[in-house]
Amino acid sequence: MSAPQKSMFQLDPRAKVLVQGATGRMGSRHTELMKRYGTNIVAGIAGASARRDTSDTPLFGHCAEAVAATGAEASVTLVPPMDVLRAVTEALQAGIKLIVSPSEGMPVRDALHAYAMVKEHGAFWVGPSTPGLAIPGRMKLGFIPDVSLKPGPLGVMSKSGTLSYETCFRLASRGVGQSAWVGVGGDPVKGLRFAELLPFFQQDASTRAVLVLGEIGGTEEEDLAAEMARLSFDKPVFVLLAGASAPEGVTMGHAGALIQGGRGTIQSKTSALRDAGAEVFTSIESLVEGVASRNV
Amino acid sequence: MLLLEHDAKELTRTLGIPIPAGVFVDGSAFESLSLDDGDAWVVKAQVGVGGRGKAGGIGFASSAAEAIEFMRTHAGASIRGHKVAGFRVEQKVEFDREIYLSFMVDAAERGIRVMLSAQGGVDIEAHAHQEGAMLSAVAAADEVSLAAAAQGLLSAVPAELQSPLGDAVRRLATVFMQLDATLLEINPLFVLADGSWVAGDMKLAIDENALPRQPQLEQVVRSRPDAYRESNFKLEHDFDYVGIDAHGQVGLLTTGAGLSMMLIDEMLQAGRRPFNFCDVRTGQLRGSPARLIEVLQQFTRGADIAVVLVNVFAGITDLGEFAQLLLDALDAVPQIRVPVVARLIGNNFDTARKLIESSGRPVVVELDLDKALQKAIELSGVVA
Repeated sequence: MSAPQKSMFQLDPRAKVLVQGATGRMGSRHTELMKRYGTNIVAGIAGASARRDTSDTPLFGHCAEAVAATGAEASVTLVPPMDVLRAVTEALQAGIKLIVSPSEGMPVRDALHAYAMVKEHGAFWVGPSTPGLAIPGRMKLGFIPDVSLKPGPLGVMSKSGTLSYETCFRLASRGVGQSAWVGVGGDPVKGLRFAELLPFFQQDASTRAVLVLGEIGGTEEEDLAAEMARLSFDKPVFVLLAGASAPEGVTMGHAGALIQGGRGTIQSKTSALRDAGAEVFTSIESLVEGVASRNV
Repeated sequence: MLLLEHDAKELTRTLGIPIPAGVFVDGSAFESLSLDDGDAWVVKAQVGVGGRGKAGGIGFASSAAEAIEFMRTHAGASIRGHKVAGFRVEQKVEFDREIYLSFMVDAAERGIRVMLSAQGGVDIEAHAHQEGAMLSAVAAADEVSLAAAAQGLLSAVPAELQSPLGDAVRRLATVFMQLDATLLEINPLFVLADGSWVAGDMKLAIDENALPRQPQLEQVVRSRPDAYRESNFKLEHDFDYVGIDAHGQVGLLTTGAGLSMMLIDEMLQAGRRPFNFCDVRTGQLRGSPARLIEVLQQFTRGADIAVVLVNVFAGITDLGEFAQLLLDALDAVPQIRVPVVARLIGNNFDTARKLIESSGRPVVVELDLDKALQKAIELSGVVA
């Protein structure tokens, strides 16, 4: 195995993709839908008992076999939440460099272990708890609804699936589409965070502005603001934050206050992002109006 | 989710963590409490939120009568928006030192952060800003790395604390890992004159996603249906439902956490009170109206609900099927007589609309979310 190298996250519309958990009700359905959208699905992984070949996707018992036979470079793990860590491990060991994990409900401890391994292998991991990612008009890994996807100038990153579907659907019906769309996922510990995607959107020529759909909690939005400043990010950044009125949830006690130092609230996110030059909106419609009127 | 202090202590005691002897006293059965008079007791309101001490939720007593008096004034009360679930009455500890020690998932660092201060207690956040007062390190998520990181911090504490704190970090690191915890905070951690230690207060937050492999924790959650209402709801029904406002005017039957949160924000901006948050996940209904019925049943408790707002953005779900499930659910909960605004978008919208309109029910079908929201806001403003 070659030494892990620090490379930048990138998306190849023709990347060869395998699906872990390609059989079963959801697995086969989503595999089919991804294919229909144009994704270059080359293989499916399924347990021996499930390997009834009902689709035209070649099925394998293990990622390593599939990679050897097809040259797959990316994987979508359509497996139950308690199996995600195992699936990610298997994909990494087979040499996969981009993994998308839609499953909701992956234990935090598993996500920490998965991330450590992903890093060790010099790979990228999107999720968990994400609808996935897409290059509109070309490919999608996961299940972002086609009706919301439209090629265009916006680089989208979102913690929430449904909020991004709704917002991008409305923008698309106003003629504003997306250059690339990455659902980072709603869990606190995740493969790629907002700030880590910013360099990708900075260098991506087809991205003329960035749309960020954030949520209360954590420090991802604040860290994104810091990264915008660090990179002197000069494309317009539009932000919508959900949860302004969320009741006080699990407080992390003094430990949380000591680490986050008052960050994590909508107020802190809003002011950090505004200070970094982003436009922050408080309703879907005002954001859609704001973006559509800017002619990005 | 944060466990009640009592549950956290009793659970970790079985895993080798020393705690002061104590009992749980129900918020409605405290009048009969008996204690050995003459001893000193601490009475602590049990509530799933931090900042309890500063909010007056902790009292001291030297007799059962004093303890009862404290409980009488706090029973049924709320602390920082959380209802007091009961009390833990425990022996007051004579200590030499108060230490702060915590382990917590640090999402930004993608590791476990260990924090230690030789000056613990309720004013820890103020102390922590002093140079060198709070020691901190990040470790990988395994017991060995965690204990090593904590051990590393110990080199900076006074010699007489090395032995008790060495024992404490080893035991607590093990428990943190064993329970799939996201936070284990001991503040204060009492160091006694004889060199032993006791967990004075304890905050234990657990990862609900790990419950399938944590039967002990699941048992704790199930043992208190009221204190852990939302977690029990999720265990029972496999989706999220959170009551927001008992006097809410709008019942939300929606899918997607982020979009549901946004709808709540926008509704409050318009001066309307949402009754609940939920994420029914239409992709997982599997042809059964059970989840929809469950949510509608919750709405029967909302005396002020004037409208039900349904929002489904279906990437995959067939709206015709969903419409039928919605009608079935409304049939199953006939107590719901308020108008329903159903915003549906996705495959087979026309079939869904026809089905709903021909049912003769007071259900308005909308394709546009903003129009649906405006309609719901209008309807909630006209309470009959």
